[in-house]
Amino acid sequence: MNISTGDKIPNNVDLAGDKVLQRALEQWQPEFLNWWADMGPEGSRTNDVYLRTAVSVEPSGWAHFDYVKMPDYRWGIFLTPIDGGRKVNFGDHKGEAAWQDVPGEHRANLRRIIVTQGDTEPASVEQQRHLGLTCPSLYDLRNLFQVNVEEGRHLWAMVYLLHRYFGRDGREEAEALLQRRSGDPDNPRILGAFNERTPDWLAFFMFTYFTDRDGKFQLCALAESGFDPLARTTRFMLTEEAHHMFVGESGVGRVIQRTCEVMAQHKTDDPARVRALGVIDLPTIQRYLNFHFSVTIDLFGADVSSNAATFYSSGLKGRFEETRHGDDHLLRDATYPVLQVLDGHLQVVQAPALNALNEKLRDDYIKDSIAGVSRWNRIIQKAGIAFELTVPHKAFNRKIGPLAGVKIAPDGRLVSQEEWAARESGWLASESDREFVASLMGRIATPGAYANWIAPPAVGINKQPVNFDYVRFG
Amino acid sequence: MSATLARQHVIDPEVCIRCNTCESTCPQKAVTHDERNYVVHFDLCNACGACISPCPTGAIDHWRQVPSAAPYSIAEQLSWDSLPEQAALAVHDGGGMPPEVLAATQAASAGQGGAVSAPWSAQTPQVNLYPVAAPAIARVAGNLRLTDADASCDIRHIVLDFGATAMPVLEGQSIGILPPGANADHRPHYIRLYSIASPRDGERPNYNNLSITVKRVTEDHAGKPTLGVCSNYLCDLKAGDEVRVVGPYGSTFLMPNHPGANLLMICTGTGSAPMRAMTERRRRRRALKEPGETMLFFGARAPGELPYFGPLMKLPKEFIDVNLALSRMPGESRRYVQDRIRERGPDVARLLAHAETYVYICGLKGMELGVDAAFDEVCREHGMDWRELLARLRQGGRFHVETY
Amino acid sequence: MADPMTAEPATETPVPVDFETHPSRYRHWRLSFAGRVATLTMDIDEAAGIRPGYRLKLNSYDLGVDIELHDALQRIRFEHPEVATVVLTSGKDRIFCSGANIFMLGLSSHAWKVNFCKFTNETRNGIEDSSAHSGLKFLAACNGTTAGGGYELALACDEIVLIDDRSSAVSLPEVPLLGVLPGTGGLTRLTDKRRVRRDLADIFCTTVEGVRGQRARDWRLIDALAKPQAFAGYVEQRALALAAASDRPAGANGVPLPPLVRKARTDGFGYAHVDVKLDAGRRIVELTVAAPEDPGPASIDDILKAGANWWPLKMARELDDAILNLRTNHLDFGLWVLKTRGDAGHVLAAERQMLAHRGHWFVRECLGQLRRTLARLDVSSRSMFALVEPGSCFAGMLLEIALAADRIYLLNQPPGEGGPVLTLSEVNFGLLPAVHGRSRIDARFYGDEPQIAAARAAIGSPLGAESAGALGLVTAAPDVLDWPDEIRMALEERVSLSPDALTGLEANLRFGPGENLDTRIFGRLSAWQNWIFIRPNAVGESGALKVFGTGRKAKFNRDRI
Repeated sequence: MNISTGDKIPNNVDLAGDKVLQRALEQWQPEFLNWWADMGPEGSRTNDVYLRTAVSVEPSGWAHFDYVKMPDYRWGIFLTPIDGGRKVNFGDHKGEAAWQDVPGEHRANLRRIIVTQGDTEPASVEQQRHLGLTCPSLYDLRNLFQVNVEEGRHLWAMVYLLHRYFGRDGREEAEALLQRRSGDPDNPRILGAFNERTPDWLAFFMFTYFTDRDGKFQLCALAESGFDPLARTTRFMLTEEAHHMFVGESGVGRVIQRTCEVMAQHKTDDPARVRALGVIDLPTIQRYLNFHFSVTIDLFGADVSSNAATFYSSGLKGRFEETRHGDDHLLRDATYPVLQVLDGHLQVVQAPALNALNEKLRDDYIKDSIAGVSRWNRIIQKAGIAFELTVPHKAFNRKIGPLAGVKIAPDGRLVSQEEWAARESGWLASESDREFVASLMGRIATPGAYANWIAPPAVGINKQPVNFDYVRFG
Repeated sequence: MSATLARQHVIDPEVCIRCNTCESTCPQKAVTHDERNYVVHFDLCNACGACISPCPTGAIDHWRQVPSAAPYSIAEQLSWDSLPEQAALAVHDGGGMPPEVLAATQAASAGQGGAVSAPWSAQTPQVNLYPVAAPAIARVAGNLRLTDADASCDIRHIVLDFGATAMPVLEGQSIGILPPGANADHRPHYIRLYSIASPRDGERPNYNNLSITVKRVTEDHAGKPTLGVCSNYLCDLKAGDEVRVVGPYGSTFLMPNHPGANLLMICTGTGSAPMRAMTERRRRRRALKEPGETMLFFGARAPGELPYFGPLMKLPKEFIDVNLALSRMPGESRRYVQDRIRERGPDVARLLAHAETYVYICGLKGMELGVDAAFDEVCREHGMDWRELLARLRQGGRFHVETY
Repeated sequence: MADPMTAEPATETPVPVDFETHPSRYRHWRLSFAGRVATLTMDIDEAAGIRPGYRLKLNSYDLGVDIELHDALQRIRFEHPEVATVVLTSGKDRIFCSGANIFMLGLSSHAWKVNFCKFTNETRNGIEDSSAHSGLKFLAACNGTTAGGGYELALACDEIVLIDDRSSAVSLPEVPLLGVLPGTGGLTRLTDKRRVRRDLADIFCTTVEGVRGQRARDWRLIDALAKPQAFAGYVEQRALALAAASDRPAGANGVPLPPLVRKARTDGFGYAHVDVKLDAGRRIVELTVAAPEDPGPASIDDILKAGANWWPLKMARELDDAILNLRTNHLDFGLWVLKTRGDAGHVLAAERQMLAHRGHWFVRECLGQLRRTLARLDVSSRSMFALVEPGSCFAGMLLEIALAADRIYLLNQPPGEGGPVLTLSEVNFGLLPAVHGRSRIDARFYGDEPQIAAARAAIGSPLGAESAGALGLVTAAPDVLDWPDEIRMALEERVSLSPDALTGLEANLRFGPGENLDTRIFGRLSAWQNWIFIRPNAVGESGALKVFGTGRKAKFNRDRI
């Protein structure tokens, strides 16, 4: 099969002139399309979707809007343009010129980083593939699809690195990325959180707000990498990740907005009444938030990690905003506070900063996600409702690291097994919460119509009106 | 003397999701953030627009007119929960209106029968921000011939970009152009006024630019061949050339902000400029489904001489009711705007009877009488008294004429 | 409670290590039984390291974990004769076992590392020993990442099944990650047991992430792959298939193993049949094994009734425990003087019962216990002198203790005058092979048939200084007058020599020509490993083992030596 890669795959990596890449992609592209057909958004093949496509890396070039059938989406390969003078900015190689090829000694670690990141991209498409059937509006359906195709492009980005820089092993890993399946016990995705199904749209918004924000921080840390192609790839991916967080933040905001409208209109704050009125009560939103927040901060990994230290010292993965830190960027003697349960109390202990880099990234993430939650609170405030959403304590509901299994309330208190059991359903979204939210889900696919439980957006996509037909059904 | 107002780039903290895209995109490194907000350094931002399209939310695309000496500081922006309203600006007095502007304005609006106020819902305009002593400097972003190559006249669409200089304008306002050089008496050339053809948010939305419509003058009023100093200067400009601009001017020929207001617009030739500005303003707000109607009578010799003919004809009928009057079509009788008004009598009458209808007439002086007669006739046919109605229209700031 | 981040490394052994435990006290393993199949599930308690200063993350192990494994194997051997297959698997998600804990190795003294490795090696050899001699089969059900020592443990099993989830791999990352060898037999079993081609083994051992899926099979690194959902079913099927070929008795009752009674004294410790006397001034241990008080039970029923109290088993367990204790807790006692006492006739009587019932599972296991215990002597880094004195009973199985020693001193006094004797028996000719797989007699005479035949002809005869000397069974036979000084000087001279040189010398002499898997592990792999363990490239300030996990990069002296 001879594909005209240059035409089909917008790129700035000289695809047409790179035989190695062409050979790899000739194999991989049909497999990718098969994967999309099998595991991409359900029942969406013939839809014309008003999508944003990146056609170049110039600021003006990567937000090209038009109707596209998703299988025809032009998944491009884009790297932020090369900066000839870029250096490795941290770790043992600090000050050396950034690597344009994979250093042999870091090959295994780099590949592992890329495969782990790459695996999350198709995983989230798979997790979300059923959501289109219950979309609350065409606007939201389009946003879901946009998120999906961009996750697909992020997969391409990682596959490009594997194909271009890791030889046969890289090609095999790229294939494996298409073979694993989210939630398939025989063939699961690498990270546990990416094997959970995204059951409803509130979960989807929470996921895109919290979990895609994890993606942002991971990508930011990788964008500092001494391996320049990885840094440049992830930097460009970040611009797309932004849209996903927007979908999450505005989505949850609109759910809250609608709930507040109904509460104000009916002058009630009784969750049962609010539910009876067909919107999602604020305590349920809080429980979803608690769940997604705690599951997501686990994704940053163990509080004290030797891998994190190795990745940093080797110059493979930096900190969030590495170059903004005023320290030595070596961290050999520095320490960083981590939480542990000692003598029955949650206590802060100092760990070597290098080993605590996961914790540092987690803390940066937490700061960032709290800011958005306070914006949601402003919606509630403006509606004159006395309720405040809060982010649970860092130690709450952890499954990874030394806090795993320790029972900590959302407010940070160490609680007994009994108290946890008694109060868990008040802290974390329960089966009955999910059943209730699921009961509200139903497909709304008329331009300008929005499900009762969610407010229309303030503005449309690409300055289009909110009643624009963002998806046309073929 | 430097400009007193500047255009400051700001980010809407209510919409922003802190994705950092703008900060990483900005070639000037003008964007920064704290744990709450992303904000823009006034001194560093050169309004290049690189950050605009990558922003996933549109939060990035906000601008405020500010005194250049007192922009919003970083600390102030970081403290925002939401964007501040556009402040009423204490504008430096440019030293009084230039006399020739006053004279020209008076002459142009003579047809409306004396001073008329602006529509009640019109936004308060900024006037005379840039005096002759301290003109704003704009750069030509584009210069496009609107009329066909074989048309009898050369009408140009010229886009002026003001960069970081604030030039807040409203539809219906004019700017003055200071042509370079001096006249035969070794005095500077007079200011020439041009109606702005773009809406208030720019020729391109949120670009700090505006457009004017310029006809190359090749003969004087008496028909004697002569080259108009300013129009020829403008028509010959290339992209990137600098232009000295004064103004803006005009505080009455303005469009209503009220979404239910109807616009009844009659124009010929380059008189279409303010009509285009208003139409474009409404077109950009179509999504809001505002109820106000828009009706346009547009006269020219032939389609090839109609500025903005192409785009105009693409607009859907339910959005704008366009009526062309072509006076030089081969094999057809000459038709003028007044003829078309008569033909559309019932709709014109219905609009005129509406309390929120605003009439705008712009173009050659010669059209005034014909239009007046047509309105009179239509009113009579529909049981209305045009004279009495006209007085009410004037009083309500609903009748605006700009002819030359 | 010590702050685990800053705790001082455990360089020496402040609290003696106890090798005795019981399933009720396990912290790291779960032992469960289902008919012919026992499942040993590794589910490491991170916080329960045997020494402070590290956490046993990702199912990594330390000596404490292996002590439990060893105990569990013993329970299966003796208490569960119905078990024919042992499935080794993990209770953790997506990780089978990641091997020895690196932080533990980084913090440990050289001696601790060597002893730890030796014990784990012996435990794995014991797995293969039970498979070869007792019909107990082992199946590694690798249900997740199987790295380093985790894979070495799997390699000791008869079959390896790896989960095929597209991410779990088997790997030996010691060289690229830690700058040391896969030293718990991994490298040797790769070649000698699984016959992985050497160039593929070279790639495998230098690839941190290892090999998974079909390639792992193609390279012979594993025997089978199974998808996660089919995994349990496949493992069960294979476990039963292995069990079907076993002659372990399905219906038999087990013999419980009670805790050993070890009595501590100021100058040592003692058991029912074994005594350890520590001469701290001279750094010499006197290890004495006693014969049974009577000939012991004659019928298999009575033997079973005696159970763990049957002398051959009880003595062997006590000797085993004594050896482990001495090796781990008494490093500076470099010379073990090996003695016996009691009635050789009782020893031989017990031995006759053993031979008579050697087809019975319990007797077979007792023989196995003896074989493995004696093999510990072969690899103990201590000088061993056997002293054959009046009242001793170096006969048959106890003669093996002397034959394991580096030297045998026999008091030259005619047997008729109460002089001591050695007595050969059938068991000295193959039933209790040394670690190299040959009988100690065979090895002693380098396989020379006439010498061996002469010895064989002497079976059952009490051999005094003259005849034993003629057969080549004693090193020296001083007479009564010379004995005290000769022996004193020999001992004092021995303890004055370099302990390192002695360890090397003894190991070389004990193993002799001809190799098997075990000698390749103890004589080559461990030797190289122990060399690497003291090299700055591994354990210097910037050695790979020291800096692992800190994020610092190892600095190597690039000279090849």
